[in-house]
Amino acid sequence: MKEPTVTPPMPHPSPMTQFFWDGVAAGELRIQRCQRCRHYIHYPRPYCRFCRSGDLAGEQVSGRATLYSWTIAVQPFHPFFVDKIPYTLATVELVEQPGLMFLSHVVDCPEEDLRAGMLLNVTFEQLAPELTLPMFRPSVDRG
Amino acid sequence: MAKRNRVAIAGVGYSTIGRKTGLTIEDLVAQATQAALDDGGMTVGDIDGISTLGSEALADGWMLGIEPLNWFSTSGASPAFVHPALMSIAAVASGMCHTALALRIIRQQPSGAELAAGDTSGNPMTAGLAATSGDRQFLTPFGAGSATQWAGLLTQRHMAQYGTTEEQFGHHAITQRHHASLNEDAFFRDPLTMEDYLAARFVSKPLRILDCDYPCDSGSAVIFTTEERARDFAKPPVFVDACSLSAIRDLNFEILEDMAVTSPAHCARELWSRTDLRPADVDTAHLYDGFSVITFQWLEALGFCGPGEAGPFVEEGNTRLGGRLPVNTDGGACNVGRRHGANFCIEATRQLRGECGERQVEGAEVSVFSNAFGPFSGAVLLTKD
Repeated sequence: MKEPTVTPPMPHPSPMTQFFWDGVAAGELRIQRCQRCRHYIHYPRPYCRFCRSGDLAGEQVSGRATLYSWTIAVQPFHPFFVDKIPYTLATVELVEQPGLMFLSHVVDCPEEDLRAGMLLNVTFEQLAPELTLPMFRPSVDRG
Repeated sequence: MAKRNRVAIAGVGYSTIGRKTGLTIEDLVAQATQAALDDGGMTVGDIDGISTLGSEALADGWMLGIEPLNWFSTSGASPAFVHPALMSIAAVASGMCHTALALRIIRQQPSGAELAAGDTSGNPMTAGLAATSGDRQFLTPFGAGSATQWAGLLTQRHMAQYGTTEEQFGHHAITQRHHASLNEDAFFRDPLTMEDYLAARFVSKPLRILDCDYPCDSGSAVIFTTEERARDFAKPPVFVDACSLSAIRDLNFEILEDMAVTSPAHCARELWSRTDLRPADVDTAHLYDGFSVITFQWLEALGFCGPGEAGPFVEEGNTRLGGRLPVNTDGGACNVGRRHGANFCIEATRQLRGECGERQVEGAEVSVFSNAFGPFSGAVLLTKD
């Protein structure tokens, strides 16, 4: 008997957020950016909170970040994650702009090696055949 | 416009509170309201305004037979009980109504285990956590978005930035449990040891189950009125000296730019700017403890200790009954259950009335209560007559 498959919680993009998931499919981390004042905005919004412009577009970022905080998820809150725990949820700060925070996982790093400020690089991890997510791993250039 | 009224608390009360009681929202509204009316020696005829979080103000007013309503407000996403409380305070202060009932009504939310098993209870909380549209598309597919997970992130940041230790959070849990041991209304009254705390399971490491409030069904009610009317009711009035409501961003905890200093810092600055009282004047503090780190942030924000010093401040015993600043003398929501902020207002009121029995802080004249943190928060400074 084949094990019943648990469907992952699939993102439901809107026209405003489609660029992000298109980027993931292309192996790029894309973040919404104001085309007038050039600030990045995450999560995506219909107007720039810095200059109120409505002219916004997804742009590829470097994928470099620093670790701001983390938590070891040991309790699943969705059936798909029951066999995925423990995993390291992390708030990372993308290098493109101070305060540009992104919520993801840190992978390939033992818990005891996690440090605030450590350098990270984006990596694309396939959680299920239909779900790939941008995650972060310690940079080889550990600064 | 009428001149600004001085606002007082005239009645406080709770519904039956318990785990999966089977009580409906209407039951919780009716019971809590009656308890607050009885406490104040009041009748529904004394009330002309309603604010609520968790029920619907018009439906409540009609069901309770309060007619006409001069003023009503149903809170949406907001920082717990302090939001309907502040709406009521503002309405009475401005003269839009003379006596306002502030409610916080909660049905117990599904547990992590129920959610992991694919909970199909139809509880709106379940649907919210499972959503993958809007901002949730950046959380749910990552296995993120549970409140305990952002609490883990904010707890970890406090530890990383300030050197706060697990044991210091443990001291907080132990202190609150000691207070709960003196409160017949608490679920948990047995003493807690550091061994117990450190052995408690992690929910989202470094957050332990003992750092979390206790889910339950609860209805809480507080009646705010004018000074003049308050003097005619049964209980000595407790006065609102100053209050503050603040938000520093939209409702996304996981991507806060600064997780160590959040909206309570702004909220507290505003609060102190609106009063002649100072932190040293406060006799009891009732600081939201949905998660332990929230109480720590409020201790720092309100100036009871320096930035990042909440850990040592708690460890030194300052927040314990008999200490410099008794905090959460009812035992906090970790022990009395999730009344979502209302218990802090009600316990502060009872301390200022001198009704707290074994856990009474002698001579208490000034108390502060606060709710929520992160994106949004609120605080109220209360005084004895």
